[in-house]
Amino acid sequence: MKISDLAKLNELKENAAKKILPDKPYIAIGMGTCGIGRGAELLFDNFERTIKERNLDIILKKTGCFGFCSEEPLVNLYIPGHPLIIMHQVSENDVIPIITGVLKGIMPYRNVLCRIEEWDFITGKFDFGKGLTDYPLWNEVPFFKWQKKIVLRNCGLIVPDDIEEYVAVGGYFPLFSALNNMTPQSVIDEVKASKLRGRGGAGFPTGVKWELMAKVQADQKYIICNADEGDPGAFMNRNEIESDPFMLIEGMTIGAYAMGASKGVVYIRAEYPLAVRRLKSAILQAKEYGFLGENILNSGFNFDIDIVEGAGAFVCGEETALIHSIEGKSGRPTPRPPYPAERGLYGKPTNINNVETWCNIPVVISKGGSWFTETGTEKSAGTKVFSLVGKVKNTGLIELPLGSTLETIVFKIGEGTGSQKRVKAVQTGGPSGGCIPVEYLSTPVDYESLNSLGSIMGSGGMVVMDQDNCMVDVARYFTEFSNGESCGKCTPCREGLAQTLKIINKFTQGKATVADIHTLEELGKVIKATALCGLGQTAPNPVLTTLRYFRDEYDHHMIEKKCEPGICQDLFSALCENSCPLHMNIPRYLQLLKEDKLEDAFESTLRDNPLPSSIGRICHFHCQMKCRRESIDASVSQGDIHRYISDTIYKEGKAPAVYEKIKKGRLPQTHKRIAIIGAGPAGLTAAYYLVRLGHDVTIFESESEAGGILRWGIPKYRLPLETLDFEIQFIKELGVHFVFNTTIGRDIAFADLERDYNIVIVGIGAQSDIALSVAGNKLDGVLSGMDFLKDVAKGKQLNIGRHVVVIGAGNVAIDAARTAQRFGSEVTVVYRRLKSDMPANKDEIKGAEMEGVNFLFLCNPKEILADTSDKVRGIELMKMASGDIDLSNRRKPVPTGESFILACDTVITAVGEEVEAGFLKEFGIKTNSNGNISCDHFSFSTSHPKVYAIGDAVTGPATAAEAMGIAKKAAEVIDFNLMNKRRFHKLFRGFEYSDEVPLKPEGGNRHYTFKRPLEERIGNFKEINLGYSKEQAYAEASRCLRCDVRVIVNTEEE
Amino acid sequence: MENKKINITVDGKAYQVKEGNTILETCKKIGINIPSLCYLKDVSTNASCAICVVEVKGARTLVRSCVSKATEGMEIRTHSPEINQARMTNLELILANHPKDCLICERNGNCELQELTATLGIKETPYGKTKPVEKNDTTSLSLTRIPEKCILCGRCIAVCADVQTVYAIDFAGRGLKTKVSTYRDKGLGNVACTNCGQCALVCPTAAIVERDESKEVFADIYNPDKVVIVQTAPAIRVGIGEAMGMEQGALVTGKMVSALRKLGFDKVFDTQFTADLTIMEEGFELISRIKNNGTLPMITSCSPGWIKFIEHFFPKSLSHLSTCKSPQQMFGAVAKTYYAEKLNIDPRKIVVVSIMPCTAKKFECKRPEMNSAFDYWKEKLNLADKDNFFDVDYVLTTRELARMFKQTGIDFRHMPEEDFDHPLGISTGAGVIFAATGGVMEAAVRTAYEVITGKPMENIELNVVRGFEGIKEAELDLDGTKIKVAVAHTLKNARVLLEQIEEGKSPYAFIEVMTCPGGCLGGGGQAIPTTWEIRQKRADSIYKEDNLKAIRKSHENPAIKALYDEFLVEPLGHKSHELLHTNYVERGIY
Repeated sequence: MKISDLAKLNELKENAAKKILPDKPYIAIGMGTCGIGRGAELLFDNFERTIKERNLDIILKKTGCFGFCSEEPLVNLYIPGHPLIIMHQVSENDVIPIITGVLKGIMPYRNVLCRIEEWDFITGKFDFGKGLTDYPLWNEVPFFKWQKKIVLRNCGLIVPDDIEEYVAVGGYFPLFSALNNMTPQSVIDEVKASKLRGRGGAGFPTGVKWELMAKVQADQKYIICNADEGDPGAFMNRNEIESDPFMLIEGMTIGAYAMGASKGVVYIRAEYPLAVRRLKSAILQAKEYGFLGENILNSGFNFDIDIVEGAGAFVCGEETALIHSIEGKSGRPTPRPPYPAERGLYGKPTNINNVETWCNIPVVISKGGSWFTETGTEKSAGTKVFSLVGKVKNTGLIELPLGSTLETIVFKIGEGTGSQKRVKAVQTGGPSGGCIPVEYLSTPVDYESLNSLGSIMGSGGMVVMDQDNCMVDVARYFTEFSNGESCGKCTPCREGLAQTLKIINKFTQGKATVADIHTLEELGKVIKATALCGLGQTAPNPVLTTLRYFRDEYDHHMIEKKCEPGICQDLFSALCENSCPLHMNIPRYLQLLKEDKLEDAFESTLRDNPLPSSIGRICHFHCQMKCRRESIDASVSQGDIHRYISDTIYKEGKAPAVYEKIKKGRLPQTHKRIAIIGAGPAGLTAAYYLVRLGHDVTIFESESEAGGILRWGIPKYRLPLETLDFEIQFIKELGVHFVFNTTIGRDIAFADLERDYNIVIVGIGAQSDIALSVAGNKLDGVLSGMDFLKDVAKGKQLNIGRHVVVIGAGNVAIDAARTAQRFGSEVTVVYRRLKSDMPANKDEIKGAEMEGVNFLFLCNPKEILADTSDKVRGIELMKMASGDIDLSNRRKPVPTGESFILACDTVITAVGEEVEAGFLKEFGIKTNSNGNISCDHFSFSTSHPKVYAIGDAVTGPATAAEAMGIAKKAAEVIDFNLMNKRRFHKLFRGFEYSDEVPLKPEGGNRHYTFKRPLEERIGNFKEINLGYSKEQAYAEASRCLRCDVRVIVNTEEE
Repeated sequence: MENKKINITVDGKAYQVKEGNTILETCKKIGINIPSLCYLKDVSTNASCAICVVEVKGARTLVRSCVSKATEGMEIRTHSPEINQARMTNLELILANHPKDCLICERNGNCELQELTATLGIKETPYGKTKPVEKNDTTSLSLTRIPEKCILCGRCIAVCADVQTVYAIDFAGRGLKTKVSTYRDKGLGNVACTNCGQCALVCPTAAIVERDESKEVFADIYNPDKVVIVQTAPAIRVGIGEAMGMEQGALVTGKMVSALRKLGFDKVFDTQFTADLTIMEEGFELISRIKNNGTLPMITSCSPGWIKFIEHFFPKSLSHLSTCKSPQQMFGAVAKTYYAEKLNIDPRKIVVVSIMPCTAKKFECKRPEMNSAFDYWKEKLNLADKDNFFDVDYVLTTRELARMFKQTGIDFRHMPEEDFDHPLGISTGAGVIFAATGGVMEAAVRTAYEVITGKPMENIELNVVRGFEGIKEAELDLDGTKIKVAVAHTLKNARVLLEQIEEGKSPYAFIEVMTCPGGCLGGGGQAIPTTWEIRQKRADSIYKEDNLKAIRKSHENPAIKALYDEFLVEPLGHKSHELLHTNYVERGIY
């Protein structure tokens, strides 16, 4: 049926409207590639079979993608009179319940994502129905809330290969109007007025481009749709074509009319078979209805579209290369000018626009250019479609006004990582784009802003990266991609990218030098400035932006030869080892234990960590967070095992023999004198290694005993004193001198240290509680968490009263709460965020809960209230609500305005600690604005030539293991600086053990240590965690998958 | 329009320049040399190397001056820290995968990459090799490709495609795997390559060079049992001087002869002798074809690149080719028969060396049918098939000869002027002009006219077929018989005339085709560089030599007359047929 006039078009529309709003129920399955990939085809078959078998009066449709890819398969369910329901994650098991529900006229109660009451197709509106208010409206769902669907207006809601549905929602009326009511120039004027810019990435004004082409006189002109979407992680164009091919065809037809072209080509990737199929079918239908081909809509205008399937070369996204490819030549770009508008396909004037650009045209014509500019920014009008992927909870295809921030995309639409992991960066523009760090996510997404950050809009790929991504590896990945896709024509791209890749590989292998950083930057700049085409000109962006924003990661790879996220395989043995601040060789001691070599296992841990038993009790266990066994069942309890090993050695009296070995291994006296300030975990660790290297080490400690936070901050029920003392005793035996009760600057002048020692190491920790900034924070009864724990440790008599409120959510808060609870008080922990946001060890939180500590979440202190004698009588707490997810990947607490008063006798504040290093300033040691000692990341040197700094004093409050890790690294650096020789490795030795990888996971489920029963914990400080039995320890050790063993597999060269 | 001036600023200074030129050309005219590498005037605008970049105010990136035109109001900077760095880095990148064995490279001292490296002052580079070394292509008898030395500038591809329309080579692979290759990587010897060697002539490095046979020639020179005779093509006398460091187009016939003697050749002969012979045979062939309604137009067959071209691409038109061998092959055949007999030398002891401006000649002399002397002697000397020898043993290009001169310490510039040996060294002005496009036509007309009309030609200088226009036409009045002739140089132009023939629309009786731009004086074996300016200077020298010659018509050459009297009897006679004419083969494109 050829449509030749408005009456017929209207008639078609009216009839087709019944397909959108039928008088009987319909079920539509989202069958884009994403849906099919998640089982939509099977689902459809199931529905079809069931409907057929039961001979039901239900319409079954295949629609495109509604965008929420991570929730596929999506199913639209319509029962006349009700809103349209969109269901998510529908499986075959849901088929019968859904159909049963439909037959009874009942909406499903599971799997409902949202409801749509009315939908603005922009070219037409539809009212589905009201009601079902239990389900959120579609735009109340975070994923959709911030979106504005212009290009995607029909996607997922109409049947993509039914032209009648397209007409039903107002399709082809714009074309009719253009052909009948507008001159080609007025079409161009409208597009110019819309300020639409090329959506392929470069952002050239579409109307201007059209005008250039329209002005060229020629017997033949071509228009091309660039559907050669090649960015890894980008699927906008695929989805647009799969879900709404007529939108593209109509846009191209209008464009052809405006520019005077009679031939169009869609250059599409052959890897998009579904899109190709739907597009082909759409072209046939459009011809059948007279919307394409000869004498379109009886206007005398002729236009036809061919499809050319590209073999998938990224460079063919470049206009000139794409044209060559269509001509059957190899896809290599040629210099412009001449521009395609002058000499393009087969030498004829040619216009090329991206899929999304064409898709915007029908609405621009339908609603007018000025309507279009209402969305977006002054310079970047309209919306942009992005494919949101990577480490983000909600992935899919999103469309939002230009000028929206990256934060909106990542945290509001994407809802952050969906895990405890922090978002680190967003890669926009694919391999041509750059990595934008989380700190810059408030940047609006428009062409100019992204450019100013060194990235590009690109075609709309958006890859979210979290803390587990190594940015050097990210740069390597994209460079490898561009290098592989370079056409090889021009020097900078062909040779430059290969050299870039070679140099980045030096980083990932720990072989890079500072000169390499310089070369990378220089190369990047030259490639950008001199490559022939867009591929080369943008290919250095990932390297340049990561160098700009993540230089520290390059430094880690280069100087420390470490890859913190554990991606660059050459730089570590196992992920647990890599994540351990002390880099303990965990697989080694696990294997040694498994082989019953207990002494060796102990010696291995002791050489890596001077306090194996203590740290085995209180560590944050960074190792467990990276354990690969977790992907099978649960991570290995590496810490509990090294605690078991050392406890057993101590218990069985086997320590002295091992200690002897280590003492014997002490290097000859160097007569270098080293002073360490602070006998906390950092100071002790530095001393332990430096004394073994033959140096003369003295620790000055203001308290009467060594241990620092381990002694004064960690309650005894977590770390018994005898364990700590036993381990510190060995450090004393190694020859470290301790000077107690001595404060530098008071008891000894800093100048004396300066004079008497070759090196001074500051390891004073971060022990000063940050005061709570609310009224009443100085009242009698307000204690700081650290002071409270210290007083308890010193055995001071404290009167904390019946009700204690602890403010905070870290380990200090939980320690304080459980300690207070042991004095018989009723304890309430108050936290302004959610439980899942608490930074304290999960085990500690659980223990506190079990012991009866109360928790109040989403509450923030407003004021501490005094009684008449200026003593605490209570605390006023503001109720908070969970807001949007912020840059820290947590929901922001927002005051509700509602508050309440909690009566209490004591308020313990534990909202964080800071370094008290002010006294060092007068000795020429600078501090940062946050109070931490200013110190080089890798050399640990301060602004004072003799002074080094370690531990929390450098990093601010961190874990004991992290402080010790820094101390260990610093010991190596300091020794090298003193001796000008690499000697640190002499403190370690090899052990004999098997490198056999278990062929299947062994050791069963994770083993949990014995815990002291609750009733035995009341009112005392007896250790709670009783450790493993021998059987448990051995079994747990054998759960290790031995990812430290690398098997070299010979792969045949291509 | 043509002389329209535009205003531009270069490095802060205002200039008024002609419109329509590239930034590179424009700057050159105002005295600023922008370094460039891949660009070659009249040949390649591949714009790949990114050396000639300049800053143009308002441009997003640096601009390639070789392809970007200077336009009104343009503000150009030709050097700045950024530009200099870009040039250095891009050159360093090229050098990373280029062997640094300049000392033992045959383009040492005549290499554009080497020169540019010196110009930009590159002393060290941070970049190491990133790609494996590819094997050399030694499949061709004429040319050797050394991919390791290739910098992917694309000049060879451009000249092969755009100048010759042969398309024997193109870029293959992508990214770092990009290389210049032949159809399915079969090698130049196994594809439709015409061996013209224009690729070698334009190559900035030694990535494609003639197949060097100087070692073998030295060995025979030093072998006392061999009689090594040399023939020099007409174009050598205007090319070898350049290759020996003299001025462009230097005419050095006498020095060349004495130098060749000094090098140790037993006899120094001239291909111009057989050029005259060719005119005799070809002239009579043309007359015969005209008289006997033979296949017309007849096309010359002196240029072996052209022969292979028509064999590959227009096999249906082979009958249009003159059956005459080229002068070089006629020389070999005559030397090893007539001359051998005359001096009573065992032909097997004679080594014929050709000095040619041409790489295709190396292939030509190894065509299996080019053994007429062997056939001539086979019965007489009772030879077996395994004793087969070629009429011409070695072909050396101008460049190879120059290397040999240098190796033997010949002070070319100061060599005395000497004459060729007799009798195969005696030639006419008609033989000389074979070196230039149109020369064979002009020489043929000088003889044909007089043979047909029996009258002396008034003005023997046929200016209408001189010069570098791609296709030249002339109408000749041979005593009432009017014929149209055409002259084409480069295979692109030859293709035009052939397509005309295949369409049956060719108005010509006689066509001269020379493979190389400008004819043999611009041959693929000539001195590097060879530009249009240089070709003109060589042509000037050629026509000067013609002018200086006492005899300027082939049929008046006394040695030729003697050859016919003593040996061949008559043009197109039986012996001529055996020794001086040949046949062609059909070759496919793949």
